[in-house]
Amino acid sequence: MKILCDRQQVQEAFAIVASIVPLKTPKPILQHVLLRAGKDSVTLFATDLEISASVTLESVKVQQPGTLLLPARETASLLRELSDATVSIENKDLRTTIESKEGSFILLGDDPEQFPREATVNSEKKVVVPAGAVLDMLRRTAFASAREETRYAVPGALLEVKDESLRMVATDGRRLAFNYRHLGGSVPAARALVPLRALQALGRAIPEGTDQPLEILFSGNQIGFRFGRTLLIGRLLEQPFPDYEAVIPKAADTSVELDRAALEANLRKVSVLCNSEVRMVRFAFSSANLALSAENSQVGRADVVMDADVKGAGGTLGFNPDYVLDAIKSSDLDTIRIDLTDDAAPAKFTLGETYTYVLMPISGS
Amino acid sequence: MTTPPDPLRILHADMDAFYAAIEQRDRPELRGKPVIVGSAERRGVVATASYEARRFGVRSAMPGVVARRLCPQGIFVAPRLAHYGAVSRAVMAILHRYTPLVEPLSLDEAFLDVAGSQALFGAAPAIARRIQDDVVRELGLTVSIGVATSKFVAKVASDLRKPRGLVVVPPGGERAFLAGLPLRCLWGAGKVMVARLEAHGLRTIGDVQALAPAALRALVGEAMGEHFHRLAMGDDPRAVEPEHEAKSVSAETTFAHDLSARADHDGVLLALSEEVGRRLRAEGLRGATVRIKVRHPDFTTFTRQRRLGEATHDDLTILHTATALLHRAVPDGQPLRLLGVGVTELVRSAGPRQQSLFSPAEARSERALAAMDRIRARFGPGAIRHGGTGDVRGAHEE
Repeated sequence: MKILCDRQQVQEAFAIVASIVPLKTPKPILQHVLLRAGKDSVTLFATDLEISASVTLESVKVQQPGTLLLPARETASLLRELSDATVSIENKDLRTTIESKEGSFILLGDDPEQFPREATVNSEKKVVVPAGAVLDMLRRTAFASAREETRYAVPGALLEVKDESLRMVATDGRRLAFNYRHLGGSVPAARALVPLRALQALGRAIPEGTDQPLEILFSGNQIGFRFGRTLLIGRLLEQPFPDYEAVIPKAADTSVELDRAALEANLRKVSVLCNSEVRMVRFAFSSANLALSAENSQVGRADVVMDADVKGAGGTLGFNPDYVLDAIKSSDLDTIRIDLTDDAAPAKFTLGETYTYVLMPISGS
Repeated sequence: MTTPPDPLRILHADMDAFYAAIEQRDRPELRGKPVIVGSAERRGVVATASYEARRFGVRSAMPGVVARRLCPQGIFVAPRLAHYGAVSRAVMAILHRYTPLVEPLSLDEAFLDVAGSQALFGAAPAIARRIQDDVVRELGLTVSIGVATSKFVAKVASDLRKPRGLVVVPPGGERAFLAGLPLRCLWGAGKVMVARLEAHGLRTIGDVQALAPAALRALVGEAMGEHFHRLAMGDDPRAVEPEHEAKSVSAETTFAHDLSARADHDGVLLALSEEVGRRLRAEGLRGATVRIKVRHPDFTTFTRQRRLGEATHDDLTILHTATALLHRAVPDGQPLRLLGVGVTELVRSAGPRQQSLFSPAEARSERALAAMDRIRARFGPGAIRHGGTGDVRGAHEE
């Protein structure tokens, strides 16, 4: 096999594919990227058996078709370090030579016959959305998904097509982030629980500020994301997703409107003096202001008062400041609204027209 | 001028027939009668027997049915663990009057180091007598105390003249004191170890003292040989560690026959997770890391662990994590010799806690767990189980 290709293009494609290569695996062959050169196109493919990624390259000159395996990490680093406009990739048996004007690099691969087959996905049930919009939705929800498995924690996000909108929801059992985008027209209902790692891979594959479309392919126990020449396929999580609509409060005793940037800045200051075991900032709402305080018996205490438009009963609640910051950071509103009842009920943060965040307080003496 | 501290400074205080004594104190009609705290049900066990019942051969940890056979006139009383916990706190409060260096071992026993208190309260034996008097006068209970230069000797001494015994082993008298005692008094000598030592003609700790250290090491291995030799000589350098909090809560079981089927493995994990959860709740603890221990038939042993987002004492959360760890590490059909489940990174349950969005469900689950704990305390650990716990007891009784 021998190809000549644009270095920057192959480097970017390789980086997307290599990002899903597992760091540790009982099957070392999975730490490779498969490169297949057809008559006039080249495909890169990698998988960890749960997620797979493939990118098809254009502007490649295939001099001799064939298939080879490249060690993912080393090849990705090498392509990043090279600065020539074009590189040639050529193999002889399991040895691959990458050559540019800067030098010649031999990489020892493995037998492509032993590599998993390229995944396929059924594209009958398909939703097309602007990729940039999905990237925004990801930023507003993925942080709330669980990093560890517990009973109500879901290490992924629910992607749902319902009522002519695409919804993305994530929860770790303590907070829940929900946002949606109107699709219009008649779209078939669909639902998929997408693992966090697949979402992270998707986030890496979509460049900032793109106006390209993203195809979301709902296919049985798999989901596919097709963006330009990239196709990501993920196996869905099989655990149940909690009834998220039931968790979003419909009524509240107190409604507060406040400046988003001021809250973010003040929370950062106050949270410096949180107790290290249970990170908690007290939010005391009175008629015209919000008093934030934190105390660490070993280190000290913080008190900050800020303006707030408080309607209703007011009261004092404790929140984990990190959980509040995670969410308000990804809001693009100047003024946000918090609806709350007491320390046994979730608080609702309205962070955008289509973006809602629900957070449980910290309570108990 | 300072005088060197008296080496006679370690006390081991051990309440006499603690649970049974509390019942007899609270219910005068039980006094002088053989009282058995525990359950006579098929799977119940004896928690504590009064001294009257012990005359019939009833012992702690004995199956309830056996106790009933030995002592048909025995009065079975359901344990009231919360009450015993409250009494235990009162006992520990008395111990704390005499030194801050109190290391509780369980509800009814503790080590004390009185090195710093002797100027105030007198020598260690005098402190021991004051503790015994306080406990009788204020709580209506009796405590046996061993006084010695080390934890090991003090603990052996406290057990020698129960009830309300006070045994003082003076500095330098440790060897003579230990010489006549049976091998099982050696800390770390289980049935198998005792049998091995007896097979070589050893009967008492004195026999171990007489054996050359090299010969002992050859007999039981380097580490154990060294350990037993030092103990037999009364040499135990362990310090009293106050505020000694458990660093982990775990349960494990060796199977009578190797178990291969995943369903059997899962059933064992459920039983072990229930046990760990129950003990965490009883101690008022939660743990943030779940660990499994797996031993293959060839004795190779490994552990796997996973950190949870939040500390838990919930049986099913522990089980869910333990099962996921096991399934990742061990294929179905793999024969196993031992399984263990443990929870580490323990924290006290009290204090502010991040609440769960799905709290109605969790609150229900907490209430259900509390109810299960009450049923188990009354009728024994097998009285109520989570669904899916196969009857694996026969398979893994140790």
